[in-house]
Amino acid sequence: MIRIEHLRKQYDNAIPLKDVSVTINDGDVISIIGPSGTGKSTLIRCLNLLERPTSGKVFIDDEEITDPACDINRIRRKMGMVFQSFNLFGHMTVIENIMAAPMDLLGKSKQEAYDEGMRLLRMVGLAEKALNYPDELSGGQKQRIAIARTLAMDPEVIFFDEPTSALDPTMVGEVEAVIRELAKTGKILMIVTHEMRFARAICNRVFYMDQGGIYEDGTPEQIFDNPEKELTRRFIKKLKVHEIRIEDKDYDYIGLSEGIELYAVKNQFPHVLTAHIRHAFEELVHVIMIPALSDPKVEVTIMYSDEDATASMEVRYNGPEKNVLEKGEELSMKLLEGITRAIEYEVVEGELTNQIMITF
Amino acid sequence: MNNKQRRRFLSLLIGGIIALSLGIIPTIMINAAGEMPPGKYKTLSELDGKTIGVAEGTITDRIVEERFPNATIKQFNSMSDVVEALKSGKIDAFFDDEPILLNTIAENPDLTYIEEDLFVTDYGCIFPKNEKGAKLRDEFNEWLSDFKISGELAKLRYRWTKGPEEERVVPDYSKVPGTKGSLVLATTGTGAPFNYYVGTEPVGIDIDLLARFCIDRDYKLEISTMSFAAIIPYIQSGRGDVGASAISITEERAQSVYFSESYYEAGSRPLIKRTDAIAGNFFDTIANNFHKTFIKENRWRLFAEGLLNTMILTVLSIILGTALGYGVFMACRNGNKALNKVFAICTWIIQGMPMVVLLMVLYYIIFASVAIDGLYVAVLGFTLTFGAAVFGMLRTGVSAIDRGQYEAAYALGYSNRKTFYKVIFPQALPFILPSYKSEIVGLIKATAIVGYIAVPDLTKMADIVRSRTYEAFFALISLSIIYFLIEGLIAFLVSRIEININPKRRKREDILKGVKTDD
Repeated sequence: MIRIEHLRKQYDNAIPLKDVSVTINDGDVISIIGPSGTGKSTLIRCLNLLERPTSGKVFIDDEEITDPACDINRIRRKMGMVFQSFNLFGHMTVIENIMAAPMDLLGKSKQEAYDEGMRLLRMVGLAEKALNYPDELSGGQKQRIAIARTLAMDPEVIFFDEPTSALDPTMVGEVEAVIRELAKTGKILMIVTHEMRFARAICNRVFYMDQGGIYEDGTPEQIFDNPEKELTRRFIKKLKVHEIRIEDKDYDYIGLSEGIELYAVKNQFPHVLTAHIRHAFEELVHVIMIPALSDPKVEVTIMYSDEDATASMEVRYNGPEKNVLEKGEELSMKLLEGITRAIEYEVVEGELTNQIMITF
Repeated sequence: MNNKQRRRFLSLLIGGIIALSLGIIPTIMINAAGEMPPGKYKTLSELDGKTIGVAEGTITDRIVEERFPNATIKQFNSMSDVVEALKSGKIDAFFDDEPILLNTIAENPDLTYIEEDLFVTDYGCIFPKNEKGAKLRDEFNEWLSDFKISGELAKLRYRWTKGPEEERVVPDYSKVPGTKGSLVLATTGTGAPFNYYVGTEPVGIDIDLLARFCIDRDYKLEISTMSFAAIIPYIQSGRGDVGASAISITEERAQSVYFSESYYEAGSRPLIKRTDAIAGNFFDTIANNFHKTFIKENRWRLFAEGLLNTMILTVLSIILGTALGYGVFMACRNGNKALNKVFAICTWIIQGMPMVVLLMVLYYIIFASVAIDGLYVAVLGFTLTFGAAVFGMLRTGVSAIDRGQYEAAYALGYSNRKTFYKVIFPQALPFILPSYKSEIVGLIKATAIVGYIAVPDLTKMADIVRSRTYEAFFALISLSIIYFLIEGLIAFLVSRIEININPKRRKREDILKGVKTDD
């Protein structure tokens, strides 16, 4: 069991983990997903102290490893780690890579270490490579050896730090197959990954990380099918989001319109869709909404889903409940209806109570 | 010529050279009482406007400058260089004291001198300017005055300048009980007839004089050789008790050291080329030179002794320097910032200093008042330099290892120390060894300067031989060959290590030695 209490990790220029508290139970197989730079790797590296947490406590089986008096080398023996870049020892053969730690740290005899090493090599399907050097192997083979090396210490927990990110797409499968087998052994696995399909298939728990912590924690069904929170949903649906705020009648209309163009180009929108979004923004916000508001406060959120190539625009504005569409000029309204699939007014909660939702 | 013939010709040639060198004993002696042979110039006044050589660190240059305002003056450090320069026409004349020139001419029949003194100087022994030095000077003066009155001094002088070769021996001073302590005599060992080597024994007027003084007054005598320019600082620092090396008594020097009464008055004369110089037979000359350089007076033993000193210095410096660099690296490997800074500055200072300056600072300043053999100071100096280099190499080599290797080892549970020895260091070694090898070669070459602090190494010994033979060829060629051999040997040893530590060259059986495998 791993218990994390108010874990915080701070660098000079960033705070990847603000305040993380979570308990991981024996047998948990956890996928850690989320956008890059949200502290996924930092979290698991704090759990075996490859990174020293700035503050907070981490307990492994009720032993506090963040206590300076704790012998971390002993704890690390029961926590394996598999790295994105394999990190096999280049001066040793494959079998020596696997035998070294049990002999050096667990006092196993050479024969014991060898027998166990060969068993593990057979398990990962690489027994014939025992006497090769790491630089003679493919990426997928290296990663399977790295997993075997970790298993040789018979750890209770294994952390995987993006184990397939550095691999050719053709080799991802062989490594995933090995991890899939491990998931059945009852060890705690924590896997930082970008492979959603794989994460969903093998884990019983998913951490979606964002905003300096575990933003949403749930079963794969929950996270992947019915995410409760907005950022999770955006991530799962692979939404590309562009946000605009307007706080003055004299706003930089041209700059904002160009911003939409850039965002569209960056995410490779279909050309027609880009033109539609820009027109909709121009007609709805610039022509209809801003003139109708005395002290405008407007938030525009444009979302684009990679999965089905659809876009939507959500416009919220201040003031008493008032549907600006009703006062819109006929020409503008016609134009809007021509380029959108649906356009709806709604009263919502929050600071800005009016909302117009457009789908393209 | 076919192969067989060529081989026969070569063996004849080599055999001939050896036979000649063993068989021919140089018979060139000059008639001491006779006239000097005619030279290129007849009088001193002809020398104005010419290129004139003087000995470094002497008073001659100022006097030559006054007398010959249009002359170009060149400084020389050893008589063998002077002879080469005169013969090749780089200088036209070289001023030195008559007895020294007589000796030079005896060995070099191509040369002669003008029989006209530029000035006459008195030679004295020097003593440190302290109470002990003053006492010793007084004791020496008292002894010298008796020695003069009894006529012994005149006899001694005659013996070493005009007397027959077999009488030129120094009394045995090794048996003196030395109840009054021992005296360290500083001299060059390259200034015949005042001080020079026969075989490995220092001899000459200076040595004879001091040996007799020590025997009469019950001191143990120890002789330390160095360049002339180093003698005064050596005495000044109190490292040596007495200096004697045909040192002219001048007011300027008397400000730094005490002088004894004069024991020799010498006229300074110009050494010049003879007009009737005859070139000898080519093979005879080679054989003769070989004989002079190695066989005569067992001079090969000087080379052997120098080689031994150079080897001791090199091997000790490599071992200690490696240990030092390694120790320092391990001490600040884990990144104590202050410690790292301190060592970085030390490394910078040591590596930024010319080796010879570092050695002289250690010898004449830091260890000035400690009685310590120059060899140990040299070992210390080279240990520091080599240690600094090893430290730098380790830092570069280890930093070339990917961060991921550390993390993988830590994640398995390896301690910091074990990670370094089992994972990092074996992988860094292949990066380190090539520069280690070239650093060793650099070290061996650099040891050639230790003569500056009175260490009789290979180069210094070759200098001593050259100062007697006035022949550069064999001494310098054999010197380079010996250095090449040492460098080659050590580089070979390191290469063997390099091959042996390469894990990929291990045999399959060795990797799984002692393990029962299925296949």
